[in-house]
Amino acid sequence: MKFIKNHLMFILPLMAILLGIESYLVFSRSTNTYQKNLIDDYSMLVVAKKPLELKIFKNLNNHIYSSKEIERESIVSDVAKGINKDDTKEILDELPYFYNLKLDSYLNSSQLDSIKQDLKSNANIKRVETFGSSYKSNYRLFMFIKFILNVFIIFMATISIFLIIKQMEIWKYAHKERMRVMEIFGAPLMLRSGILFKVAFFDAIASTILVSSIFFYLKFYWAVSSGIDMIRKNQDTLFRMTDIGILLVSSLIIVIISVYTVVFLNHGADE
Amino acid sequence: MSTVINASNLTLSYDNGEKEIIRNANFNIKKGDFVFITGPSGSGKSTLLKSLYGELKANRGNLIVGGLDLCNISNGKLQELRTHMGIIFQDYKLINEWTVAKNVVLPLMIAGYSPEIQETQAKRLLKHVKLSKYGDKFPLELSGGEQQRVGVARAMAKNPVLILADEPTGNLDDYSSNVIWDLMENSCQQLDTTVLVVTHKIPTVFTLPYRHFIIENKGVYEVH
Repeated sequence: MKFIKNHLMFILPLMAILLGIESYLVFSRSTNTYQKNLIDDYSMLVVAKKPLELKIFKNLNNHIYSSKEIERESIVSDVAKGINKDDTKEILDELPYFYNLKLDSYLNSSQLDSIKQDLKSNANIKRVETFGSSYKSNYRLFMFIKFILNVFIIFMATISIFLIIKQMEIWKYAHKERMRVMEIFGAPLMLRSGILFKVAFFDAIASTILVSSIFFYLKFYWAVSSGIDMIRKNQDTLFRMTDIGILLVSSLIIVIISVYTVVFLNHGADE
Repeated sequence: MSTVINASNLTLSYDNGEKEIIRNANFNIKKGDFVFITGPSGSGKSTLLKSLYGELKANRGNLIVGGLDLCNISNGKLQELRTHMGIIFQDYKLINEWTVAKNVVLPLMIAGYSPEIQETQAKRLLKHVKLSKYGDKFPLELSGGEQQRVGVARAMAKNPVLILADEPTGNLDDYSSNVIWDLMENSCQQLDTTVLVVTHKIPTVFTLPYRHFIIENKGVYEVH
């Protein structure tokens, strides 16, 4: 029981930090996908007097990633059914040029307004439509979710760090006498802290396995049976094999910092 | 005979020199010497001993132990020096979560001896201190006298050049104290080790020739 209790005292806060890291990774991947979809779905409409190349748009504002001209012929064919060819040509000559512009990233409404102003500065551009309202609400919701999750992760990490510091205090006293005796008899640092490292490495590996198992379960069992379409579609973002490496490295870094802190706090300390 | 410890104008203090304990001490201890250092409580006996294993640095003067200047010694060299010392404490300083056998072979473990050699040496050392049956027990299962015998066995484990003992019988009854003095006499004779014992009183049962230093008014004086 004491063995389990001693390990759980470090494993649980370590797990909380790793859960925070993994949640951040999952959320980053999900939001990246969501952001990419928003960017893909979003375009600005530009009406121009003359044909314009992408280079010209990019010179006006470097957030413009691509431009696609809307086929003028198809617009005319839609509005001028039953009109003879000469009249159609006349309409076509009078018709301005329409472009769909894609952006390179997810921008807020003031940045969109700035792009609009830049585009309008070109004399050949007659009109720019940014479709701001729906974009703005999506953006705000998106940023709000991201903010809430980050606050939660930071809160969880802070509490966990305090718990780890508490455990370090326990380690400091539990290993103090042994480390002092070994130091007096000339044991080098690595030998003195060897037992503590073994304990801490065991806890780091156990925490990594437990957190990986939780997300493995979420990805391969819960996501499939959840019946939530959005989760099933984004199943891949829930857990990746590379996450095990990230979690293990993170937990080992925390462990090394914790153990060395304890070792140096105990170094030369008088009883 | 070669010098093991040489102190010249040694001054020791705490609190960055504000609390002076030993002032301008001069003494020389040779290989094979058995030395008692006595003095009233708080006179600085343990402080002097601490300085000999590098736990406390001198404020002034020189302190050479085993040919190394402890006033200017790197951590690595100090570690190396400590592996050639055996130290016995009044409160035993055994590692309570380790078995008696493991405690005894700590210096061998630090020196990187194989587990087989450690096991053989543990049996030999425990036999020497008459604790053969206690190898698998833990220190807290033993009496004070028995724990100190483990401490003595540990100090002798690597045939050290120098054994330092801080009030080794301070917590023991007369019978246990006599056993410890007997063991230390035997060790000194068998190993030809230099032994320096800090104690408040020289034991009456002691039979070997010895040198006696007394600490008084911050000075260290040899009693002839």
